[in-house]
Amino acid sequence: MASAVSLPPNAGTPARAGVPVRRTSGRTWIGLVPFVAFLVLFLLVPAISVFRQALRDPDGSFGTRAFFEAIRGQNFEAFRFSITFSIGAALVGVVFGTLVAYAAHSVERPRAVKQLVTSFSGVAANMGGVPLAFMFLSLLGRQGILTKILDHFGWDLYAGDFGLGEVSGLVTIYSYFNIPLMILVILPAIEGSKSSWREACSSLGGNTFTYWRRIGLPVLMPSILGGFLLLFANSFSAYATAAQVTDNSKIVPLRIGFFLGGDVSIGEDAVGYALSAWMIIVMAVAMLLYWQLRRRSERWLQ
Amino acid sequence: MTARPVSARSFSRLGKAGILVLAGLFFVLPFAAMTRFALQNVQVIDLGWSTLFDKWSLDVFTNAFGNDFFLDSLVMSTKIAIGTVLLTLLLLVPTAVWVHLKLPRARAFVEFLTVLPYVIPAIGLVAGIIVVKPHVRWFISSDLSLIPFYVVLALPFTYRAIDTGLQSIDLKTLTEAARNLGAGWFRTLFTVIAPNLRSAIIASTFLTIAVVLGEFTIADVLLKRTFPAFMAEYRQSDPRGGYALAVLALGLTTLLFIVLAQLTRPRRRIDSIGTNTPRKT
Repeated sequence: MASAVSLPPNAGTPARAGVPVRRTSGRTWIGLVPFVAFLVLFLLVPAISVFRQALRDPDGSFGTRAFFEAIRGQNFEAFRFSITFSIGAALVGVVFGTLVAYAAHSVERPRAVKQLVTSFSGVAANMGGVPLAFMFLSLLGRQGILTKILDHFGWDLYAGDFGLGEVSGLVTIYSYFNIPLMILVILPAIEGSKSSWREACSSLGGNTFTYWRRIGLPVLMPSILGGFLLLFANSFSAYATAAQVTDNSKIVPLRIGFFLGGDVSIGEDAVGYALSAWMIIVMAVAMLLYWQLRRRSERWLQ
Repeated sequence: MTARPVSARSFSRLGKAGILVLAGLFFVLPFAAMTRFALQNVQVIDLGWSTLFDKWSLDVFTNAFGNDFFLDSLVMSTKIAIGTVLLTLLLLVPTAVWVHLKLPRARAFVEFLTVLPYVIPAIGLVAGIIVVKPHVRWFISSDLSLIPFYVVLALPFTYRAIDTGLQSIDLKTLTEAARNLGAGWFRTLFTVIAPNLRSAIIASTFLTIAVVLGEFTIADVLLKRTFPAFMAEYRQSDPRGGYALAVLALGLTTLLFIVLAQLTRPRRRIDSIGTNTPRKT
């Protein structure tokens, strides 16, 4: 994105000595040193240390045993479970987020609806952590109020395999921040769709279905896919909420926490770091794809 | 034939209203349920029309406030929040100004750095902290050592807020005017640029506070009893009290965002994808 401020031409301002207004020289990079040094120290060094520990055999030498141990057996199950519910949570978030965003966009009265949806999404998309889990524990936990109400009407929620720590429960809970996040992602794209496209479509003989199939969805597609990846990454890495509703370590972030907790034998802790390393890899792939798609979707929003 | 489009339209209007109402219920009910548990001392099993408005009380709050660790955790989180806000501003404002003025070439690079915390989530970061901990035990053993890591976690929001603020002012003219009038860089930054970035600074301050008040992962693994960690721990012994603290925390955060929206309204808008995209911790 180009700077929104147009810079005044240099010609008009007599450049004072010592104020470099010319091209960037090597010296000007010095200004970034504090910031970059900070990030190296508090983000990159920890991240790289994780990979170094993950690629280490029990005797301290380089090795890939733990690294591949982290995607076998129970650890593999954890990844499978995490990826499954994250995909589920992302799908639910994308579908309902898009529906709500479209409804809010096209409802004319009352006017305040759209403003309300946007503002609320800004707050709820940042929701997470401990309070979120508490909310759903009190609504849908075993003693939850909705659980009891449904039970009163003869529907025992916990008769099947429902559980707040299972796929169904986690998808429900994570929707609380995924749907608002999707609204924030998709709303600009929906608003960027011009009514003239729809008019052009109908004057060429297309109906509503043609419009969505040929124009609406293709234009929204990068935002939808990008939103999916963002929501996936968001659900995949969430720790705080899950830690309140389940204490089993069958999801990856909790499993990492379990290994970091130190109740494992020496040598086994490397598996914890290897799990973290794999998690960072998954996140990196998802976010790289997301940024690619984001750039494509911005093309339509100029 | 002419009647059909009308009925189709009213049907779709009904559908839209239905979606919005359902969404509203989904977002309100969990909060309402938690508030009821926190403030009403009636077992779910005894709830009925006759007891619906029975036994409301605020005694959970007084109990929770009386807990020894409540005040400690609140003080710790407050200290960390202040430190995180200050460090964020001291680090980001000069860097962002420098990039805008002297290194526009580096904008993409710096922006890339600021979104790295999305790739390395809190649980990955804390794994790294555990690795380096034996070498810097003196540092990690202090509760305030959480500050730089919280600066990192908040970075995607805070840098974006400051960057947007800088785009909306004529930085170059301001700086040159100040410099021509004899102000040094320090003075220019604090008395000329900072006041013009008021709403961006407020925004990044509030976003930082929200991150500190919500962060659980790192505190939990490093066994630091911050406010969110205390909340989770307290629920184990007193579920109602835990819910009450969560109601309090959510109320506070929501209030923060409402104030933020009011203070920064004129310039604030949802721009492209990714505004305020949060990370879960």
